[in-house]
Amino acid sequence: MTDVTQQSVPTASAARRAPARQGLQPGQALMRYGFFGLVIAVFVVFAVLRPTFIAPGNIHGMLMSASIAALMFLGLTWIVAAGEIDVSFMSVAALSNMTVAGLVSGGADWPLATLGGLGIGVLFGLLNATLVAGLRLPALVITIASGALAASIAAAIGLGTSISLSTTGYVGALLDMRVGVLPLLAVIVAAIYVVAWFMQEKLTFGRYVYALEQNRAAVEEAGVPVNRLMFMLYVLSGVVSAVAGILLAANLSSGQPYLGTSYFLDGLTAVLLGGMALKFGKPNVIGTLAAVIFLTGLLNGAALLGWTDSQRQIVRGSLLLVGVGLVVYARTRTHKRKTA
Amino acid sequence: MTTNTLFIRILAFGAIVAIIAGLFWSQNPAFLSTGNIRALMRHMSVNGVAALGLTFVIVVRHFDLSFPGVASFGAMTMGWLIAGGQPLWMAISGGLAVGLLFGIFNGIAVARFKLPDIVTTIATGGLAIGFSYFYSNGTSISRNFFMSGLLDINDGRFLGLDRPFAILLGAALIGILILNASRFGRAFYATGENETAAWYSGVPVNAMVVAAFALCGLCACLSVVLLVASSGAANVSAGTQLLMPAFAAVYLGAALFGRPSVLATLAGTMLMSLMLNGFTLLAIPYYYSDAIVSTVLILAITCFDPRISGALRRLIPARKEKLA
Repeated sequence: MTDVTQQSVPTASAARRAPARQGLQPGQALMRYGFFGLVIAVFVVFAVLRPTFIAPGNIHGMLMSASIAALMFLGLTWIVAAGEIDVSFMSVAALSNMTVAGLVSGGADWPLATLGGLGIGVLFGLLNATLVAGLRLPALVITIASGALAASIAAAIGLGTSISLSTTGYVGALLDMRVGVLPLLAVIVAAIYVVAWFMQEKLTFGRYVYALEQNRAAVEEAGVPVNRLMFMLYVLSGVVSAVAGILLAANLSSGQPYLGTSYFLDGLTAVLLGGMALKFGKPNVIGTLAAVIFLTGLLNGAALLGWTDSQRQIVRGSLLLVGVGLVVYARTRTHKRKTA
Repeated sequence: MTTNTLFIRILAFGAIVAIIAGLFWSQNPAFLSTGNIRALMRHMSVNGVAALGLTFVIVVRHFDLSFPGVASFGAMTMGWLIAGGQPLWMAISGGLAVGLLFGIFNGIAVARFKLPDIVTTIATGGLAIGFSYFYSNGTSISRNFFMSGLLDINDGRFLGLDRPFAILLGAALIGILILNASRFGRAFYATGENETAAWYSGVPVNAMVVAAFALCGLCACLSVVLLVASSGAANVSAGTQLLMPAFAAVYLGAALFGRPSVLATLAGTMLMSLMLNGFTLLAIPYYYSDAIVSTVLILAITCFDPRISGALRRLIPARKEKLA
């Protein structure tokens, strides 16, 4: 039940499909790489419809917001891949954002404020990790509650409104740095994702994450320290969300107590839709990155075309629904083929 | 559960209520005034009706995260119908129909198409919020509200009770009849315990899940009707404040009474409302209310978890033996 990507056909013989590199059927190839084509298609369509879409300024803005979002969703990707859920990530980001803004406007310097924001991330990561991984309490309800706690404190810091900042300190300087034409932040996030991909594909860590989703008891019996692994994932999610919140404080030059709401749907959509790329419905970091770029392009382009917030909200909701549907459909297909 | 343990649980619940009420009363004697108790009961009605619907979904061991968004959409639909000059009963049915439709959609997606409940309901909730902006581009609606008689739902009385509270009691009575006093209710619990076993025992499992989600959507919209009647305007974020109290009420009640049921949810709602109302009287700002509710929820789930409460119980006698 807490298993968000549960199998629809609980067959006992649902052994893992071996990575079928050779003999890839056209249909499978389409499913595996089709999403990347869709990402490119979105950018081409909007570039044709609105040439300002590919103006350097707009591209730069999209890269910045995509980088921050991708960072925030990294922990979530693996938590969902391991069959658990975290719905507090966006509120932790909002709280770390408000903590930084509150400290800076209260006279603290930026290094201290970022430490405060980071501390918040670690704290909430530890809280979720202890309750969900340590005590094995239901993940959804616990993270709803801890998320509401974080959101409530975030609102309390600003007494219910946002805090605007006059300086953006060293974080702002970091955001302004460029490597060639690319923003430094995008390069750093890309590097983090390369490392994450390596951990997911080449280290036992990644194998354990996917094995956990299949059968937690079996992984535990095999001697894998399951609770410690889940513990680490929840702490990671708290920390990356907090870092994203800190970056947003400098990027928006303000603390926004309600910034979480817009990242909530996007995060889950990115993880589930991204799961369609490469791995037939299993969340993975490259898929998440591609889906974040897709969503950023789609929502930015839709804004240029003059779509209202509500229309974009409907697009978000529909995409998430389509993503979930595709994941379940892909899984039943692969399992049927295996059992047939 | 034997009658004996049930009796102890009810006593424990009464003790908790008395302690909380006593604490707030000592801080502010107005807490136990008639006016405040009526305000408390009205507050309890809104959250209680929403929590009642959620109880069914939790009983069949699923989750619904869409009801806050659906409630907002229901509120806006009702507001738009009233503003358009429709009679009150039609406007309210329109709002409730929204909840029913979304609930059935969720139920079919989860039961028939086996979509994962959490993410699917998050998506449909997001869709509902998007739709709720359509009527007025996001501005709140209050035209014709005074004339339509909607406000009487909040202000009127029924058999000496405030009408919202009477509606809660009525809904709870129907809920008890469905869930805890009929074969139909057994089927809900059976589906939650073991879907396969229930199916082989002749329970229409999928239909039970759809019914649970439909009731949840319907109750969310009924609760938002009460909310709009008390605030006098429908707005697009009307439903968002229902999420935490509803989950807290169901889980707190289930923790107190061993399993989710209609009476347990009512007890949970009462505790939540006591605390929220008390803190409001102590002039604690509104943005702390979710912090209070979520802290109580986390504590309740942790302390009442069988393994943890078992460990605590083992701890206490051990210490006593040492003393002796």
